[in-house]
Amino acid sequence: MSSTNHKDHAALAATFNKDEPRVEWHDQTLWWVRQKRDKAAAKVPDWEILRDTASRIKDNVLSNLSGYLRQFEEEATRNGITVHWAADAQEHNEILYSILSRHKVDKMVKSKSMLTEECHLNEFLHQKGIEVIDTDLGERVVQLAGEPPSHIVLPCIHKKKEEIGEIFHEHLGTPAGNSDPQFLTHAARLHLREKFLTRRVALTGVNFAIAETGEFVVCTNEGNADMGAHLADVHIACMGIEKLIPQRHHLGVFLRLLTRSATGQPITTYSSHFRKPRPGQEMHIVLVDNGRSTHLGRKDFRNSLKCIRCAACFNTCPVYRRSGGHSYHTAVAGPIGSILSPNLDMKKYADLPFASTLCGSCSNVCPVKIDIHEQLYKWRQVIVQENGAPIGKTAAMKAMNWVLSHPGVYHTAGKTGRWFMLNAPFTVNNGLNAWYRQRDMPEPPKQSFGEWYKKNKQ
Amino acid sequence: MSSRDKILATVQNNQPGPRDLPHHIPSGPTASVDLDSAFISVLESIGGSAFIVSGYARIATILHEQFSDAHRIVSGCPQLPTFEAGRPGEDPHALENVDLAILPAHFGVAENGACWITEAQMIERALPFISQHLALVIRRKDIVADMHEAYARIASLESAAETPYGFATFIAGPSKTADIEQSLVLGAHGPASLTVFLIDEQLSDAGFF
Amino acid sequence: MRVGLFIPCYVDQFYPQVGIATLELLEKFGCEVVYPPNQTCCGQPMANSGFEHLTGGCNDLFIKNFADFDYIVAPSGSCVLHIKDHLHHPGISDKIYEFVEFLTDVLHVETLDASFPYKVGLHQSCHGQRGLKLAQMSELMAPPFSKPQQLLNLVKGIEFIELDRKDECCGFGGTFCVAEEAVSVKMGKDRVADHLHHGAQVITGADMSCLMHLEGILRRQKSNVVVKHIAEILNSQITYEQHES
Repeated sequence: MSSTNHKDHAALAATFNKDEPRVEWHDQTLWWVRQKRDKAAAKVPDWEILRDTASRIKDNVLSNLSGYLRQFEEEATRNGITVHWAADAQEHNEILYSILSRHKVDKMVKSKSMLTEECHLNEFLHQKGIEVIDTDLGERVVQLAGEPPSHIVLPCIHKKKEEIGEIFHEHLGTPAGNSDPQFLTHAARLHLREKFLTRRVALTGVNFAIAETGEFVVCTNEGNADMGAHLADVHIACMGIEKLIPQRHHLGVFLRLLTRSATGQPITTYSSHFRKPRPGQEMHIVLVDNGRSTHLGRKDFRNSLKCIRCAACFNTCPVYRRSGGHSYHTAVAGPIGSILSPNLDMKKYADLPFASTLCGSCSNVCPVKIDIHEQLYKWRQVIVQENGAPIGKTAAMKAMNWVLSHPGVYHTAGKTGRWFMLNAPFTVNNGLNAWYRQRDMPEPPKQSFGEWYKKNKQ
Repeated sequence: MSSRDKILATVQNNQPGPRDLPHHIPSGPTASVDLDSAFISVLESIGGSAFIVSGYARIATILHEQFSDAHRIVSGCPQLPTFEAGRPGEDPHALENVDLAILPAHFGVAENGACWITEAQMIERALPFISQHLALVIRRKDIVADMHEAYARIASLESAAETPYGFATFIAGPSKTADIEQSLVLGAHGPASLTVFLIDEQLSDAGFF
Repeated sequence: MRVGLFIPCYVDQFYPQVGIATLELLEKFGCEVVYPPNQTCCGQPMANSGFEHLTGGCNDLFIKNFADFDYIVAPSGSCVLHIKDHLHHPGISDKIYEFVEFLTDVLHVETLDASFPYKVGLHQSCHGQRGLKLAQMSELMAPPFSKPQQLLNLVKGIEFIELDRKDECCGFGGTFCVAEEAVSVKMGKDRVADHLHHGAQVITGADMSCLMHLEGILRRQKSNVVVKHIAEILNSQITYEQHES
């Protein structure tokens, strides 16, 4: 579908599928996470009502986002936090750079923030000579490997422990051949502790920001956001403008849903509420738009802004599990990424809404009830109409519609099965080769149902 | 026009019509008879451990025994005078050598094994994270059923407090990661163990260990 | 009750026996069944490819063919869901039923004269299950039910196998099956493996398109496991002796 030059999801997924045992391992690992989610959700009475409540709170947020943003800014400022506004990725990166420059700092630590991935902050700062160390273990692994995360909650889920052992051997000097997760995690702990203790600036993401109190909440299992923030002179938190919730007690709803949906844990190890800088510390918050305000105006797509980044839709998606996060070539992969990314760049991400069977499992696990698979369908329509499909494809579709709306042509297009063997509607313009390569076609019967009916019933 | 004003104007222009907040927030079974055993069983399932004790003396005995090799133990509980009292204002970097921090917390949450601890109880914000091991102390009766009750409790703590917290956190179990092939490893960046003491002054120590 | 029978294009062309079984069953339950001869396709393949705006001709034809019946029934959850969701024409979207739900919800079928002495695995097609709610979905924390299972339970001699993943998508996905060939085939192979691993002799379901995809994989693997649309099983009179010989 894509009109740009990079490989599309189908091509990248085909490459991933060349190693079938790895696909099976990837699929089973993530399916296991999905099963943990099911067990955790089953333990919560009224889970479905909780999802509905979360969805309705987010409806309210979207309907009054401008009000909540103003309220948050006022309260956060009153708390001693410096609030910045960034219209796009570039401005976000420049705000960060200006804070770092002011403090004459060329090294910093960063805990997980998909927003900074979206803004390509690391590359930007690298070009300015600033070293960014990702401190989430999974993110550190992919950073050392020179890759982007493949999953927003489990960044190196595509890597086998032997490969991680190899990376650590090369970069951290661990013994060759040691791939024990316990050992490797301990090596990373020692390596990153030194960074926490020596870096003066720490960046964190934001899971929730509360309009009522001007505080924000950061959830981690590792404790890396806290280690960074509490040891640094400057704490910068970056958030998309959609992360607001109205009141603190609404966290009761979201924190019950977030981690159960994400990993099947009842809650993350740390759910840290940052309200004021500690004495002597500077605290900044950067509110980033980068297309979100435009997205808010798209009636059919705006409720994807409810997303709380739990990745339950990744783990349940049969396509994601068998194509890997990198095949989505975007910061946020999986089903939710496929409906968020086209808003950022409709040409570059034109392929993503098609990387789905529309099975609907994603919408069912979503803790804020985003109609993900329906939006995938709707994006297909928008992309074809706005981007313009390749001429051949449109012609094929028009021809298909003409045949299918002219039963005379359809029924006399040939002997039973012949027209169909060449033009089965589900193969439109992709040819049958892609079917034949690994699947047999059904054998055409002696007569079609229509022919049978004519002989036997009329 | 500043980015701020531009963003706010676009948001205001594009946001949908008013949608009310839900009036009723669902809650778990509030009449759960046995909150403390629910709390303990969840805490254990996430890698933590718990002791129901009659008082601080018992806590001191247990911790001295368990951490007999420790070089530095810092306490935020004045009722535990046999440990080094934490000094507010200490450079957080100097806490790097702390083997065990013992801190009071406000309450626990039965549904997820978390404890709520605010800045004033931490001595330094970094301490509950930088310490190699962590012990938290709550009263046995201070366990709420779920996160909805937790935030109701936080609201009443806040309204009673002289100043609102600048930082506070839920801590549920030891620091952990499963980033390498989903293998669970305790002790990612923060404490490798978490022990929660539930004080019940009605108890005698006999029969508890 | 006058029922307009909608036979999806690929069923018409490749699987006439499914159409015949559907028709015969509906007649057994006393419906007056008419198959409008000028029908072609619901238009879903084009719509799912992003060309819903070009499906006008298809839609007009569908309305012309089917607007006058009391009910419209089709042995395909996917096609029915597409019509329900996208053809908002009075007398169409409110009276079209997928075959299974027509039997359980409209005809209230409680007994069946059918026997099928095989080990059967039930494939829950997504559009029928998650779209039309033919069965409870494993993602939701809600009481289980399954309309296809409810009907299959009425068949004599049938044995069911349990699946490790009871409602995972097979990877057909309309044009997805060729546009994303690699993933589609892998999904299909994994579904097939789940059924084979649990000893299925027959894989059934309410959507022939998924079954066609699974059959393509089974046959490429030279497996002797076959696919059968649920209508074929519900219309079967195979005795144990026949099965043995």
